[in-house]
Amino acid sequence: MAPAIAPPTAKTQSPSTSKVIAPAIVTLRGVSKTYPNNTKALMGINLEIPRGSFLFVTGPSGSGKSTLLKLLYGEERATEGRVVVDGCDLQQLRGDRLSHLRRRIGVVFQDYKLIPRRTVSENVAFALWAQGLSRKEVHRRLHPALRMVGLHHKSNCFPEQLSGGEQQRVSIARAIVGTPPILLADEPTGNLDPDNSLQVMKILKKLNEVGITVVVTTHDDGLIRRMNQPVVQLFNGYLLQPKK
Amino acid sequence: MNWAAVSTVTVLLFLFGSYLQTSWQLNGLLNQFGSQLEVSVFLGTGVQGADLQPTVAQLPEVAAVQVITKEAAWAQLVDEMGASDLKNATRQLEGNPLTDELKVRARSPQAVVTLTQKLARLDGVDEVRYADEVVQRISQLNRGLSWLSMVVTTLLTLTAIAVITTTIRLIVMARRREIEVLQLVGATTIWIYLPFILQGIIFGGLGAVIAWSFILSMQQFLKRLLTQQPEFLQFLLNGLQLSAQQQLLLPLILLGFGASIGLMGSLFAVRKAALR
Repeated sequence: MAPAIAPPTAKTQSPSTSKVIAPAIVTLRGVSKTYPNNTKALMGINLEIPRGSFLFVTGPSGSGKSTLLKLLYGEERATEGRVVVDGCDLQQLRGDRLSHLRRRIGVVFQDYKLIPRRTVSENVAFALWAQGLSRKEVHRRLHPALRMVGLHHKSNCFPEQLSGGEQQRVSIARAIVGTPPILLADEPTGNLDPDNSLQVMKILKKLNEVGITVVVTTHDDGLIRRMNQPVVQLFNGYLLQPKK
Repeated sequence: MNWAAVSTVTVLLFLFGSYLQTSWQLNGLLNQFGSQLEVSVFLGTGVQGADLQPTVAQLPEVAAVQVITKEAAWAQLVDEMGASDLKNATRQLEGNPLTDELKVRARSPQAVVTLTQKLARLDGVDEVRYADEVVQRISQLNRGLSWLSMVVTTLLTLTAIAVITTTIRLIVMARRREIEVLQLVGATTIWIYLPFILQGIIFGGLGAVIAWSFILSMQQFLKRLLTQQPEFLQFLLNGLQLSAQQQLLLPLILLGFGASIGLMGSLFAVRKAALR
């Protein structure tokens, strides 16, 4: 069934917040994404996300939420338009320059993407080790990150010994251990029960309060209502007007 | 450790190393033949060896000339044939049937052909003989071995690279979750793929070390086998000895070749993933 929506406006959309709007950390201008099999995932997206804000991206499955995040961390490239994250134009970035931008972006996934044969602390330290940090620096940053997600007492456990919620918190710790200014979470509560979902959301909110820009995709309307944060909605690749 | 990859490299390098060693040994043997290579110059009836000796000694290709008079040659022949009564034998044949002979030693194996041609043109020379056939056979053997080894080495090199590529690709696939996380957290391409490339080099290097130990064992075995053999084979054994320089060069060549194969195989394996 064809969606009963208005065509996208050329005007840049910005999530409504009651705060004074800070300069954008993420800017999308006229962004479209068509996959090689001709699937149109996103069409004419204009969006600005202010630095230090919290934003929900919602919409049904297949509406383009994950593609939007993939464009932000450089997993996919826009077919048209510009994507600028923390001052870097992602259309221009290749190789090691893209890797260095990714150090400033934390990413959390629905399936956690933890390494099964590494412990909690090893999984988290893995991100710092991958960036070439010294052992001392890794050690210095590891424990605050685990404390932030409330898992410092399970640092020697393997992922299979943890609940889904705990695994997702490890994944959040790994994403923030490098102190990135922006955190992208793709359906972080998709596999969790309501209590664990709320716990994960509270951690994300806490991270936002210390200054990290948080972008969360979800189709859990109940969670969005409870969190009372700005929301943008995607539908069949189009970005609809912001809703509260 | 993946032994399929290591053993393929080992087989390749063992065959390649054995060829290289054999080739060096055959060259050594050629030189040995060359250094002992004497040209026998049989003079015409009535020509004195001592008369021709100064002329021959002046030729630039000549290292030494020795005159064997027909009397000395006859005496040796009779002795070898077991006839003790020299005078009786001479009388039966109505005189000494032999002629004087010059044993001419060439300066180098390469000079032998020229020298024989010059000697054959001298007045009073009836016939010139030298052991060129042996030298030519060994040269032919060496050339044939070169071709065979080039074909075998090429085929095995391609096989080894293919096996290492497949092995490293499987390892990359088995660790794709880690690689995905590494990419997400901003690890550089070199940081992610260098361990796989090093692994390929280690496969090649390990194959080289094992191949070299096999070659050394084979050398020892052949040496032990030949020392119990008659004198001619022992003469061959001297020719088969590698110089100290070659003894050092062989493992280095094997190690370099093995590491290069490992490097190429692993680069092929990660190239596609790394270039994305």
